[in-house]
Amino acid sequence: MNAIKLTWEDKAVNIAAVLLSLIMVIATAYPLYYVLINSLNDGADAASGHIYFYPRQFSLENYSMVFKQNYLITGLAMSAARTIVGTVAAVLVTAMAAYALTKENLKFKKLYLALAIVTMYFSGGLIPLYFVLNELHLLNNFLVYILPSLFTFFHCLLFMAFFRELPKELYESAYMDGANDLFIFFKIVIPLSMPVVATISLFVGVNHWNDYFVPSFFISKESLQTLPVILIRLLSLSEAQQQIQQYLGNHQSKVTMESLRYATLFVSILPITLLYPLVQRFFVKGMLVGSIKA
Amino acid sequence: MHLLKKKQPRGWDNQLILQLMILPALLTLLIFSYLPMFGIVIAFKDYNVLDGLFGGRWIGFDHFREMFGDERFHTALRNTLGMSFIKLVITFLAPVLFALILNEIPLARFKKWTQTLTTLPHFLSYVIIATLTMIFLDPKGIINGILQGLGITSQPIEFLSEPSHFWSLAASLDLWQETGWGAIIYLAAITGINTEIYEAAKVDGAGRLRTIWHINLPAIRGTIMVLLILNIGSIIYGGSNFNQSYLLGNVFNRDTSYVLGYYTLDNGLLQMRYAFATAVDLFQSCVSLILLLAANWGAKKLNGSNIF
Repeated sequence: MNAIKLTWEDKAVNIAAVLLSLIMVIATAYPLYYVLINSLNDGADAASGHIYFYPRQFSLENYSMVFKQNYLITGLAMSAARTIVGTVAAVLVTAMAAYALTKENLKFKKLYLALAIVTMYFSGGLIPLYFVLNELHLLNNFLVYILPSLFTFFHCLLFMAFFRELPKELYESAYMDGANDLFIFFKIVIPLSMPVVATISLFVGVNHWNDYFVPSFFISKESLQTLPVILIRLLSLSEAQQQIQQYLGNHQSKVTMESLRYATLFVSILPITLLYPLVQRFFVKGMLVGSIKA
Repeated sequence: MHLLKKKQPRGWDNQLILQLMILPALLTLLIFSYLPMFGIVIAFKDYNVLDGLFGGRWIGFDHFREMFGDERFHTALRNTLGMSFIKLVITFLAPVLFALILNEIPLARFKKWTQTLTTLPHFLSYVIIATLTMIFLDPKGIINGILQGLGITSQPIEFLSEPSHFWSLAASLDLWQETGWGAIIYLAAITGINTEIYEAAKVDGAGRLRTIWHINLPAIRGTIMVLLILNIGSIIYGGSNFNQSYLLGNVFNRDTSYVLGYYTLDNGLLQMRYAFATAVDLFQSCVSLILLLAANWGAKKLNGSNIF
């Protein structure tokens, strides 16, 4: 900004921009803040309502209850397991494929690309997929979380765009030393591609963490259920809810169904909220390269 | 005899390594994307579990005929198109506007914070968004409290059980969730504009608003077009339609909340009418392909920006 005198138009635009943005910020942040303060408030007290700005009766009871519920713990662990395994595997598979696809001498390259592009716009649909999962004994199997989402073409495109940007000289000398592509990929390309790796990891990881469709319809085993499914149950009047209700009833605690819901909600929001700002500075760059090239 | 090898080794062993690198991805595509496509045949069959995929009688388009005659299909199609269309107009333009606004913020730190925060909802699970919706829009909830406190309404509004509210509710949720995320790409394009152009505009006496109109907006026109084409292609699926229908739909708002994705699930996995549900899915796939190609063709005719 030059130190020029601001015209009244400048001032008006500045004020309008800041005000409108503030409205957006409040609309976004307040609901999440509301969940936080209600989860930190004594359940019985919260039942009388009107907690808008800070907890009235501070209590960590709700959170200790979340971590006492067996199936909440299982759900949390299963969500974490699927997210970590699924993300590492998918990023590895997608990045390797993208690297190979950026090599001019890869045979059948056109065929591979054509195969991948078709899947972006056409699919067999839900039922045929269900049959395939059934035939492969993936229903009610932890692997149903991992295998189908190992490769996404859109993420592959972002990787490819980034790899093409890397200076060619990097490989030249490695090739001369007799290194092969696998070595180059792991030792040279991946360490230099952290922005795009972080970006795609976030995308894939968030998909895994948030997904409720797969556990709802392809999994019936209680031990394999993830956090989102448990949240759905906390929402609807189901057996699980009665189970908790009984548990709460037997324990004479001040935790209510409501306050437990707030605590569970916040537990599931937290990991993303913490991770996402760390990755954010990468992903604007990662997205940009991708969007310009793709 | 010291010939430097300038070329990459093109030996078959290296080719093998490259092929191995792409193999896991290829297998994933073949098994989970292409194998199911063979299952589409049952859309034209009188399928039952005993006969398997390749048994069963061919019945041509009977399932499609039944589908087009089904009252619930009509409801689902109407709601899908209605919701998608509202979202296409509202949630498509909001990020453009928001990016232009963000770009005018004079305080760099505040701008960065705003961006970070408003992008966050994009990464939240729909289960969380649905839960928040139920908490906030409850008849005794905070929104109704505010509305009554300000004297805007005298009775609490039944946001979730009054069918007439569902479409606007769906669009509002999209607005809340995706505006910040959608603005990122536009903002990046605006940030990339050469500063000399602004200097020149200033010399010519253009104010801030004229600069926005004549420099910033044209800079993102291409991006807007490409995204519009992609969005038109997904009208029949409608990104968040299924989530909203499945998680926020109930007995009371069924008439306006029931969409095609739910219809497929309902018939397929809940009622086990596998062949019929496959036919519904196929119908959706075909429509979305046609829409995508049509939108692309239209854009090419209009101003030569197309994605294929």
